[in-house]
Amino acid sequence: MMIQVIAAYFVTIFFAIIFNTSKNQLLISGLVGAVGWWGYLMVIHSNYSVITASFVGAFLVSLLANLFSKLRKSPVTIFQIPGIIPLVPGMGMYKTLYAVIEEDYNLVAKHLFETLQIAGSIAVAMMILFSLSTLFDQYVGKKV
Amino acid sequence: MDSKKLMNFSLAVGEVMLRNGAETYRVEDTINRILKTSDYKGIESYVTPTGIFATLEDEDRDHMTVIRRVNNRGINLYRIELANAISRDYCNRSISLNDAYDSILKAAHEPAYSKQFIVASIGLAAGLFAIVLGGSLHDAFATLVAGLALGLFQVTMLHLGVSKFFIDLIGSFMTSWVALFFIHAIGLGHSLDLIIISSIMPLVPGVAITNAVRDTIHGDLVSGASRILDAFIVAASITAGVGIALSIFNSLYGGIVL
Repeated sequence: MMIQVIAAYFVTIFFAIIFNTSKNQLLISGLVGAVGWWGYLMVIHSNYSVITASFVGAFLVSLLANLFSKLRKSPVTIFQIPGIIPLVPGMGMYKTLYAVIEEDYNLVAKHLFETLQIAGSIAVAMMILFSLSTLFDQYVGKKV
Repeated sequence: MDSKKLMNFSLAVGEVMLRNGAETYRVEDTINRILKTSDYKGIESYVTPTGIFATLEDEDRDHMTVIRRVNNRGINLYRIELANAISRDYCNRSISLNDAYDSILKAAHEPAYSKQFIVASIGLAAGLFAIVLGGSLHDAFATLVAGLALGLFQVTMLHLGVSKFFIDLIGSFMTSWVALFFIHAIGLGHSLDLIIISSIMPLVPGVAITNAVRDTIHGDLVSGASRILDAFIVAASITAGVGIALSIFNSLYGGIVL
């Protein structure tokens, strides 16, 4: 599992390079992605569903992204976009497609629905953090 | 205060941010902050993923409204960061309007990394992704090659100005063939789905989805809806590319082993 987390760290860094993040933010972006993937794996290994795991992962990614954006006075996007990449439900999309090719429409419905649930749980996690950070900006800190 | 120049400056900042993948509310917020430094009373800005509208109004002066059409959206987080820093410096009065305007025009063309470096990153990102998903070293190697091919194709085609839809379709088709080749011709790697998923990751519209969600929550419904459409088209063209490759392979060689 450690290897997967370390790989996630570097994957996030390389994605950050693909998205042209500046050099001094790269290591932080990697950290955000690695922690998110660590949370995801921890939840999966405790036998919860992929949907819960994605929620936890996206929650950690957004939390750290917001935190670092306040600390380093740069847009949240810079950390959030590369960080969320390992959690994107590529596997679900692929399984849906594969079922379409096999013409097994029961499986299509199952995988499609699961993919949408994963995407939804990531979205909800991001929403919660976004709302919390707006609250924080209004009552505690100055907006970055 | 030269309000025309201020207006141009705010739109230039907005355009740089929008073109390079910033969320709608952030672009509006930045434009409003810059326009607030003028002596006009009324300030409005309206941003969608395809255009920017901004107005300065006052009781005893003519209104000023400018529209800026934005096409060719990509992702360049470095430029967003630069635009953010420039607008913050300007709003703090630590640089003059002229300096700020010059630096934003420069920032619009600021490259962060060379093309070769990006291609290598696409390959390495894909290869390591196979490990993230729990694949073996063989899987990772096959994915690395597929990813490098994809990166080379994507960067070259973007340079030639080919449409994104075409790049996604052909790119995913090509990477699927590389994966099939590795599994069935060379016998390297065990899991076809893992290799294909990891190698198309650089095409997956993660950014579009992230921004769509943020825009929708913030109440920018037009932007949110259009970004979701954008993400959907990208996802559809990727799956079409992979699907066509797998179907052709299926009909040529008979059943595929998942």
